Order: sequence, then C-alpha cells, then structure tokens
Amino acid sequence: MTNTPLHIVVVGYGPVAARFVDQLLPAVRSGAVALTVIGEESAAAYNRVLVADLGVGRTTAAAIALSDAAELVAAGVNVHLGTRVLRLDRARQQVRLADGTSLRYSKLVFATGARPVVPPLHGLNPDPAARVALPRGVTALRDLADAAQLSDAVDRKAKVVVLGGGILGLEAALAAQDEGASVTVVHHGTHALARSIDAGAGHTLAAALRSSGITVISNARSVGVQLSPGHDGELRFSALLQESGAPVEGDLLVLSCGVRPRVEVAAGAGLATDRGILVDHRLAALHDPNVFAMGDCAQVRCLDSDCADCAASDGPLGLIGPGWRQAEWLADFLTGSLAVPLPAERAPVMMLKARGVDVAAAGEVQAGPFDPVPGLSVSQWADPEHGKYVKMSTRDGVLAGFISVGMPRTGAELTLLFERGSELPADRSALLRLDGPDRDTAATADPARTVCRCAGVAEETITAAAARGCSTVAEVSAVTRAGTGCGGCHGELKELIEKHFAPA
Amino acid sequence: MTVPSNATDTHCPYCALQCAMTVTPAATGPARAGAPTPATPGPVITGRDFPTNRGGLCRKGWTAAALLGHPERVTTPLLRGRDGIHRPVPWTLALDLIADQVQRTRASHGPDAVGVFGGGGLTNEKAYQLGKFARLALGTSRIDYNGRFCMSSAAAAGNRAFGLDRGLPFPLEDLDRADAVLLLGSNVAETMPPFIQHLQGARAAGGLVVVDPRRTATADFTADGAGLHLAPVPATDLVLLLGLSHIAIHDGFADAGFVASRTAGYQAVARSVAQWWPERVQSITGVPVHLLRETVRLLAQGARGGGSYILTGRGVEQHVDGTDTATAAINLALILGLPGSANSGYGTLTGQGNGQGGREHGQKADQLPGYRKITDPAARKHVAKVWGVDPALIPGPGLPAVELLASLGKPNGVRTFFIHGANVAVSAPNASQVLKGLRALDFLVVCDFFMSETAQEADLVLPVLQWAEEEGTMTNLEGRVLRRRAALTPPLGARSELWIMAELACRLNAPSVFSADPETVFTELRAASAGGLADYSGIDYALLDSGEPAYWPYPAGSTGTPRLFLDAFAHPDGRAVLTPVSPSADPARDPLFTGATLALVTGRLLEHYQSGAQTRRVAELAGAVPRAQLLIHPLAAASRGISDGGMVTVANTRGTVRCQAKHSTAIRSDTVFLPFHFAQDENANLLTSQAIDPISGMPEFKASAVTVTALSQN
Repeated sequence: MTNTPLHIVVVGYGPVAARFVDQLLPAVRSGAVALTVIGEESAAAYNRVLVADLGVGRTTAAAIALSDAAELVAAGVNVHLGTRVLRLDRARQQVRLADGTSLRYSKLVFATGARPVVPPLHGLNPDPAARVALPRGVTALRDLADAAQLSDAVDRKAKVVVLGGGILGLEAALAAQDEGASVTVVHHGTHALARSIDAGAGHTLAAALRSSGITVISNARSVGVQLSPGHDGELRFSALLQESGAPVEGDLLVLSCGVRPRVEVAAGAGLATDRGILVDHRLAALHDPNVFAMGDCAQVRCLDSDCADCAASDGPLGLIGPGWRQAEWLADFLTGSLAVPLPAERAPVMMLKARGVDVAAAGEVQAGPFDPVPGLSVSQWADPEHGKYVKMSTRDGVLAGFISVGMPRTGAELTLLFERGSELPADRSALLRLDGPDRDTAATADPARTVCRCAGVAEETITAAAARGCSTVAEVSAVTRAGTGCGGCHGELKELIEKHFAPA
Repeated sequence: MTVPSNATDTHCPYCALQCAMTVTPAATGPARAGAPTPATPGPVITGRDFPTNRGGLCRKGWTAAALLGHPERVTTPLLRGRDGIHRPVPWTLALDLIADQVQRTRASHGPDAVGVFGGGGLTNEKAYQLGKFARLALGTSRIDYNGRFCMSSAAAAGNRAFGLDRGLPFPLEDLDRADAVLLLGSNVAETMPPFIQHLQGARAAGGLVVVDPRRTATADFTADGAGLHLAPVPATDLVLLLGLSHIAIHDGFADAGFVASRTAGYQAVARSVAQWWPERVQSITGVPVHLLRETVRLLAQGARGGGSYILTGRGVEQHVDGTDTATAAINLALILGLPGSANSGYGTLTGQGNGQGGREHGQKADQLPGYRKITDPAARKHVAKVWGVDPALIPGPGLPAVELLASLGKPNGVRTFFIHGANVAVSAPNASQVLKGLRALDFLVVCDFFMSETAQEADLVLPVLQWAEEEGTMTNLEGRVLRRRAALTPPLGARSELWIMAELACRLNAPSVFSADPETVFTELRAASAGGLADYSGIDYALLDSGEPAYWPYPAGSTGTPRLFLDAFAHPDGRAVLTPVSPSADPARDPLFTGATLALVTGRLLEHYQSGAQTRRVAELAGAVPRAQLLIHPLAAASRGISDGGMVTVANTRGTVRCQAKHSTAIRSDTVFLPFHFAQDENANLLTSQAIDPISGMPEFKASAVTVTALSQN
C-alpha cells in the first residue's frame, strides 16, 4: 500500500464540479487525494439555475454562491480560476493550461458544462469556437456578466426581447416582466415549451404569458439582429429582424436557443464524442480509463449495443439534478468507497420556475384521450378560461407522462407520482381536487357529533346543558367540561347556547 | 368556585405542558352534577389557573384520578414463578433478591452487565437519584432512558446551535403576542390541547403555519384564513426547511445585522442552501412553491411585527436525520433573526411530563447532573465532590437507548436490567426485537404501578407511587421548575422509587448517601447542578411553594432565567452557530414508495398517552378510543379493497399489525398513520426500525415503509 495521493484534476468549476469537490474534501483532508480544479470564470462555482433570478434582481451574487475558493484552498485544494485547459495529453497524463502551466493527473474529470447556442442570425457570429463577444445588447444569460446585462435592462424598465420558447427563455421572460421590464417572447413553432407540453397546454400557457403582460410571437422566423448606434455612438442591439413581418424592437436581446456541450478539449485529444463526451455507466471515457466526464458535457452511451439504457441516448440530460448525482457518485467511486454502478436516470420532470405561472410536465404528453396509442390511457382536464389544464398518461395504471398548468398542488403530486413510477388512483379526478378548497365546509348536522374534542363532549350533551339552564359558555363548561381544553370550540358553544335560547 | 381545604395544588401526570390542577380527595369532594365522569367516588380534579394552561385541561387530565384507586393497581412486589405467574412477595425478600442478583451478575459478567432504563416521566429527584444509583450503587455505565426516543434530536441540535438545550428558551405566554408561528411536526391540538390558547394571536394575524403530512386537528386551526397547512411527503422535512432558508436568503428576508453580530457560520449555510431552490424543493416534498414562499413571508413579516416563532415536534425530530432537521429549523430561525430576541424565537415542544428535567440530571448515558458531560473531567470532579467519592469511581459514557436495548441478553450485553417509568415493550422501535431482548435477560426488575406490557415480562415487579401520592419537582416544556405535591395517601404496599434506591444502595454497600426524602434529594441535586448548564442551585421547595416562577438556569443568588440568549448564546464567544446540513441517503432507512408500499407515520391521539399503559385503563378514554385504527386515504384504500372500518394488516419485514382501517381525506394518499398507544397486535412499533440518528441516537419512528392489505372477514 503506497501513500502517494491520487491526483485528480477537474476541468471546469460549475455547480457539478463544486459538488464533486465538496464530496472529495474528506479525502483531500486525509491526504488520500490531491485535487486540482480549473475554472474559466474568475468566480468560484455558483448556482447557474438562478442566473435569471440574479438578472432580474431577485437574488444576489453572494446568495447563489456554491463554493468558497479560499476555503477550498485552506482545505488543500489546488484552485485555478480565470484560466482554461488548452490541450489534453493523454499519453503523458497531463493538461496544458492557457496560463502556460502543465498539470499531471492520475484521473482527469471533465465538468466543462455547456455553452449557449448562438443561432445563425445575420449580425451574430454563430461559430461555437468563437471567443468573440456578442454585440452589445445581446446576451445568452449563462454567467454572472450576462446577469448584469439583464439586470441593467430590468432596472431601466427596458424592452427585452427573448428569442426562444424553451424553459430558460420563459423563466427569464416572466421574471423580467414581473420585475418591470417590457418583454416580448419570439419563438418558432405553434407554442412555447414545445418539447415538453402539448398544444392544449401551450394555448393555456400562452394565455397566462399574455395576461402577465408579455407579448408572445409564435411561428416566428428570426433572420437577423439590427444594430444601431447608442447614446455613446457604439453599435448595440435595437431590433430582432423577422423573415416576414415587422422587426421586433427592443433594448436587450436574450438568446435562449439551447446549449451545446463543451467537448472540444476532449475531442481534440481523440476521445469519442457525440453531442457530449461519450462515457460508460461509470462515467469513464469510452477508451481511456483515466478520463471521466460528468454533468452537461457528459453523454452516457456505453459500448454495449444491446444496452437498453443507452439506446435512446441522444445527448447529455442537461439538468442539474442528474449532474449532481453523477458528481457524488464519481467522487465516491474514485475514492474507492463505492462499487455499484451509477443508477440510470428517470425521465426528467420539467418545472417552470416562475411566480404565478405553474407549469410542470414530464414523459409522454402528446397523445390525446382518443388517440389510438397502444397501451396508453390518457385523461385530460381543460379549463382555459381559468388557465387550468391537466393531462395524465398512464401505462398499466402507472403514470407515463403528465402536464399540469395552473394547478400547483396537482402538479406537485403528479411530479412525485411520476418520479416514483407510481400507479395513479383509478379516479383520476381525485388529483384535480387537490387544488380545490382545503376542507369540506359542509358540516353535517349530527347531534352525536363531537363539538369539544379536548374533553370529548357531543353536541347533544351541550344542548342538554343549555336545556337545564346553562346560558353562558362558562356555565356549560362547568357542567360538561366542553371548552375546557384548547378553547377552540368556544364559538360553537356560544352558537349552540344562543340557538337554544333564541325565540322560536 | 371555592376550593376545599383539603384540596392540593399540583400538576397533571401526563405531558410536558404540566397543566396546573387541584386534587381533592373523594370524601369531601364537591358534588359534580352533570359531569360525565362515572359515579364511582374518587378524588376530584379541577383545572387551576396557571400561565401555561389557564385553567384548561384535556380529557386525559380530567380523568387522571381514575388511575389512583384503580382495581388493577399493583400494590405489592410480585415475583414471577417458574410457571410464569407473578405472586406477591414481601418487600424485604424482593430487595434482598435484587441485591443478590446484582452481585452475582457483576461477579460473573462485570458491572456493565447490569443496566438501567429510566423515563421522562420521573420527577427530577428520581431522575437524578437514578443516575447516581446506576453509577455508584450498581457501578454501571449502562443507563439511558426513553427520552432518547423523545427529545434527543432537538437537544443535540439545540446544544450544537446555542450551546444549551432548554425546550422553550422563553415563557410559553410569549407566543401569545406573535404574528407568526411555524409549527413543524407537532399536533398540539391532540397532544397538549390547552397549548392552542397560545396560538390565538398568530391565528388572528393569519400567521399559523402547520407542517404535517396529515391535516391534523392542529392543522385544522389554520383554516379560514388563520394560516397555512403544508403537507410534505414523510421524511422530506429537512429538504422543506432547506428550501425555506433558501427563500429567506434569496428573497432578501435574512436579518443581516443579527447574522453579523450574533451568529457564526452563516456563509457556509447560505452556500449549502443555494442548491435548494423552491421548485426543486417542491419536486421532493410535494409542497407547492407558493406555500413555501408564503410561509417565509409570514415569518419575516412577523419578525418585524409582533414576533415570529419556529417550533419543532417529534414529527420532524424522530428520524435518522432528526438532529440535522432540527438544525435546519434552527438555521432558518437564525437567518430570520428570531432566537435571542424578546418577542421571537425557536423552541422544541418537549413531550413527556418531565422530558425537560429528565434530560438534565444524569439518566442519559453520556451525562451527569446539571446537563454536564460525563466525559468532561471538570464535570466529573464537581459531581464526585458532591457525592463524596473519587471521580474515578464514576463510570464513563454508556450506550444510548436503542443500542442499550439491543444489547439485552447478548454477549457483553446487559443481563440484569432495571426499568423505571417506561414501557419499552410497546414504546421502543422494532418492538418484537425488544421483547426478545427482555426475555433473554437473566433478571428484569420493573418499577411500575400497573402490569404494563413490560412489567408482564419482569422477574420482579415493584409497585411504586403515582403522581398524586408523591412530592417532588417537574420541569415543564418552558424549563420552569414546578412542584408536584402529594394529595393522597398511597396504597399500603406501594413505595417511592427513592426509597427503593436507598434500600438497594444500602444492601449493595454503595458509597455516598441515598435519601428517600424528595426534598433532601433535591437539595443534593441543586449542589450537583451548580455551575452546570442546567443550574438549579438557587431553587428550593420554599421558593416553588411561594408560586414564584423558577426558570433554569437559576444559580444561587439569581432570580432565574425566563428568557435565554437575550444578550448572548451559550457558546464561549456568545454566538449562535449555523451548521450546514444536507439530506443523505441513509441505507438503514426504509426506501419509501417502492411498488405498492405506503409510508407509515406514527403519533398520538388526544385520548391516550405514550404506550397507553395508563390511559387504556381509564374507562372514559378507553371507551372513546378502545383500539388502534389505521388512518388511510380513501384512494389508497380503494385500490387495496379496504373498506372504512374494515380490518387490515399493516406489515413490513419487522412485523405485522392487525387493526381496523379508518378512511380519511385528511392524510396524504401515499401515507398512513397509526397511533402508538396500543399493544400486542396493534403495536405500531412492531413496524418501526432501529435505525438511529448518528448524532442523537434517535430512532426512525416517523417513516417506515409498509404494505397494507385488507384482512378477509372470515
């Protein structure tokens, strides 16, 4: 047994890397692991999920921090911020950084995440390798600097144009509109969230967006951005140009057109990539047992062509939850405390982060109740006037997909049932009633009914006491003990007494 | 109402609210026309005005006297014969037999083969002397008590955060003025009904928030605009609380001034909750985001107005992550700036009658009187001096309750066992294993006044006094020390536990002094507690009898401490400590919601107390709720063919309960509820697991996976 520590180098310092580092800290402190983490941004890891909230002023940069670089350094972690890996030399097991240093590793872990897709619009450079900044007034809302741009626009109550009808675009749009900006959402297709919800939910959602003040332009074909000189004479975004119809004018364009995994360093080193870096069920790169990938840059697709879990793999999941589970698992695996392979992820639940607009969806959602899809049963509830829409698809009674719009409790329960793979109750409408009133207010008129729970006194006992002349709550209490515990029934006692003494 | 001259002021025998009452012996009791008690002449109980209960009592309190002259009362020592039948024996023989048995066990297996199990219902005097008896007379480290099943998680969290654990660090009446109260996992409307009076202010302000997977009687008090009911999935309380802290920080409700000047560790906690945004929390707890936000808003708004309180109960504490869950509740309170202020705070609602005092005076495995650590050399020295012994004579830390019970009859485990004021055959988790352990003992001594399910397993049962027959002190849920007074003469043949310990100590040639007189023992307790966290040195019976409120710490020369932490927390630097906590997948915990399993939560009913050994013997209470009923949602029942009132089995790998089902829409459809007051086939603890919290030793009572099946009628 040698005492040489295991040299682990993590490329990338986002939320997934932060979780990985946290999980490894005990091993770092004990000297079993020598850990290096390399982050391109100058800030330590923060919660990217909340960047839109930061942009609209709903939270602070301090509050979304996930790591403290100084604390990690104190714990013995080697932290490189503001630099990136230029090249991976697998033969020598070392990486070359932009600042000129070279680092040797025993295990290398890619956590490079993804970068926003810049759509092919006239006036923007769509080259994914381009390191040229977007024009002024155009942001992809991915990092702290992007959040600052949005923040500036919201503060000025500016006109914000969001390009893209995906979840991140809608969240940014709703938050910015709520906080005072004037927002237009431009997307292709008939409705937003098209990958997650059906047309009925889309209509209900569009109505909700419009009633919150957002302008929605569907079936749009955007072709370019128009740049105009600002007060300072510099060119900045002024309108999103359409193939047909009027340009959509605005002060800030938020690009929300999806993300692309950052695989170039891995690909450059000859590792297998598809949309993401291809890894097996132990997150190891397909042909290099010393290189791993996790999070938004990792695509699980093993070499076994019969593997059912991998058959449908068309890219990284792109969600933080699975990324964190991968990080925890990989840290335990690399320190030898774990033998079981990483469990396969369930299909993700999409949940819109927005105040006042509740949308959750998952799984199979496109088929309607009367569509002949073998094995699939669909129940549906639509109340567009009140912004409510629910669809539940089941296979053998088990929830295979759902959409819930405008029904927060129903959505919350369906989310749980979907993630557990639970059967739905035979009476599907029971789930809809969760968003009804909290309790049945129709009190039953039953003389044997208990009025005072604390002392266990029935209505008939109280009425009898009143009949014997008790005319105040205190008198009834003295004789029956009703109302002598928590006092919660005093109002009802009073009513019963008054009822007895009321003139007929 | 005129109080008869032979009436005695005392407090209720049951829960930690310790409602004030008056007991009047039968002969001269006032006629009680129309009262729903049976006509048998017995002592009469009336509620007494006091700041906690304001004259109110619940059904348990009203009927408590029914047990005093109960026909099933044990009134002579009972020795079990070879045929398994218990027969009366004289006290001298019983005590000689015990002394002989202890010496034989010690000689052949060592002192740690003798063990003691105490209870949170014992008076301070008995709890104190029991700890001393175990360590000096028996020479064993193996003592713990049923409070391990009750307060240990909140106590560990309180000590970690504040440096001190007093259930409510403020008088209960402070709650009256609050605009917001967040009640987590506590059904006070059933467990201590007069408590509800103190929530009136919060209800009027629309600020009562109850967190419970059931819409309990307490949750019902949030209806009609009085507040909110949050019904999380069982075992997700920790995530819920992390989400509330997240919202508090991100929505700008953190009290930055308080955090900066009075706490430590905020940054790490803020970073740890950054990952718990509301939608993620909703997807795990099932609690809609808008309710999470509204809860935090109510608390923050209350803190700036009349006050806000966060209170935890066993529902969130009795988990393998109970200490971390209570810590998360405290973190939220600290972020909002509640603790240590005059009109806001955090507290835990102590359960058992003397659950507070019972955890301060040395019947805990790791503790010496005055809430001192048994491993602390200075603490050992102080207590040894009071006891007049060499500190080396005091054994080190023993085993917490679940492990202690698991060691019964095992190699290197306990072989001779004393149980005081506990009914572990019903109340301990994984009850069938506990029963096996009791039966594997060489000798079991149980002190009780009824043949409880545990007493039935005893080799020797010693009849002891009931509440209305003894003098002593109890410390209520506020940390206020109260006088328990003898109102009646005990039955011939029953003896006080202090006397029993004194007699045995003498037979075992124990060092130090063991008195049978409560006031003498209390005087010694005061000295032993002096300088400790729970310092009682300034309290005496005369002070308590004068009616002066006495909240500990009450060092000699002081006037006590109604409100703790106003100037500083009890850590050396005076700051409260925020500790980052996170949910972890505990392999010992039942995986919930696999296949058709339901989550079982256990809890209390208004009509019964603890294992039911007492309340099942009160005709009025047993008549109201004679049997255990499984609360199940009609949807869960329908898919299993279970009718309302039909018989079911509730089962898992640990055991099977057979009972009646009761349909209710007041429970989540993935969750069922069983009360834990019933025995044999209806014992909910046949299903609970011995998995424990690594910090507190608290078992997992509140989240067991079970399958529920309709029992065929034939």
